[in-house]
Amino acid sequence: MAEHGQSGGIAEHLQYWTVSFDDGNPFMQLHMDTMILTLLIAAGMIGFAAWLRGRLVSGVPSGVQNFMESVIEFINQTVRDNFPTRNPLIAPLALTIFLFIFLCNSLDILPAYLMHHIAGLFGLHSFRQVPTNDLNLPVAMALSVFVLVLYYEFKLKPAHFVKELLFQPFAALLLDAKNPLVKLIGVLLIPLNLVLKLIEELAKPLSLSFRLFGNMFAGEVIFLLIASLLLVGELEGLMTAGGVVSEFFGLLVGLGWSLFHMFIGLLQAFIFMILSVVYLSIAHQPAEH
Amino acid sequence: MSIDLTFVAQIIVFVTMVAVLWKLLYGPLNDLMEARAKKIAEGLAAAEAGLEARAEAEAEIARLLDDARAKAHEIIAAAEHRANEINEEAVTKARQEAEGILDAAREEVRAEVNRARQELRKEVAAVALLAAEKVIESELDAARHGKLIDSIVEKGFGAA
Repeated sequence: MAEHGQSGGIAEHLQYWTVSFDDGNPFMQLHMDTMILTLLIAAGMIGFAAWLRGRLVSGVPSGVQNFMESVIEFINQTVRDNFPTRNPLIAPLALTIFLFIFLCNSLDILPAYLMHHIAGLFGLHSFRQVPTNDLNLPVAMALSVFVLVLYYEFKLKPAHFVKELLFQPFAALLLDAKNPLVKLIGVLLIPLNLVLKLIEELAKPLSLSFRLFGNMFAGEVIFLLIASLLLVGELEGLMTAGGVVSEFFGLLVGLGWSLFHMFIGLLQAFIFMILSVVYLSIAHQPAEH
Repeated sequence: MSIDLTFVAQIIVFVTMVAVLWKLLYGPLNDLMEARAKKIAEGLAAAEAGLEARAEAEAEIARLLDDARAKAHEIIAAAEHRANEINEEAVTKARQEAEGILDAAREEVRAEVNRARQELRKEVAAVALLAAEKVIESELDAARHGKLIDSIVEKGFGAA
């Protein structure tokens, strides 16, 4: 931690509160800040769901129920627009992705150093306040969706999927050529097809997770930069003319970026959800012959 | 920025959340919305059916009114026709009765005239005989010359 302290404020704030179970194995560690915040959000969502369930009315909805029905109708409409068949899992999955990511992203609205300073009161050196800035969370969600996509690909059209893995994109050489030499080249290209197809498939969860992570991470870095560059560090400096101007511009720029970043958070939640639905929808598309 | 046990824990958190929110939030709300949508659709269908039934009933009423109107016209026309027939029958009957009465009267007049002629003829014949007796005294025999006098009187009245 001493190294982080010397390298400057921003780098220090980008460290996780880590608990290691095996110092020799970097995989055997938990980011406690990410875990605590996601568990709090999950518990909040589940508590809210249980609370709302007891207050549901079948007649004219109002207040919170009305709002949640609007959200669910929006999710249902998105799924209906993209899905060729009916699968009861897709809409709840999309709803969870959207709400969970949006709530995680919304934590970015809190002042940049707030959580870090609160954690400092309890003797902790680091605490990241936005769980989606931790690559573990986007990758975990993207991989879950990817596993589901593979499951449906194998379940609904196994032969087609294996054929695509082996014969795309150079299937024409293998299947349609009359020249035996070309056919031989086509057969030799099967490993290349496999590699290319695997890269194409793996790009889906990678792009899905890194898009969310990159956007939110960059947003947090910009928050920290604004705070670091415009705010004066010393209490005496606040009383000077330069300090007041600096505070004013810091507040203005910070507010503008906060509003913009809230929109980005909402947008990223929607993009993650819609791409998950689209990937699953592709897996449900009937095989072309 | 590293992948570690947090990744595994986040998968568990995410999958659990999907299952629990499906059961607690999405499921009940979606069922409620579907039931409401179904109820609204049924209400709209019933309203539509009601409107159709009303339109059909109005059409039926209009049809019945037209039928009743047509029937009333038929009845009135038949009644007028029957009244005309009765009228014509009455007029014809009256005319026939009048003609009968007239014929009877004419017949009676004719009979009376004939009877009067006969009586007159007899009286003229008697007067003529009496006059002739007076003129030629016993030269005329009533039995012998009566027929001659009658034929003369007959001719005289026939010309009259």
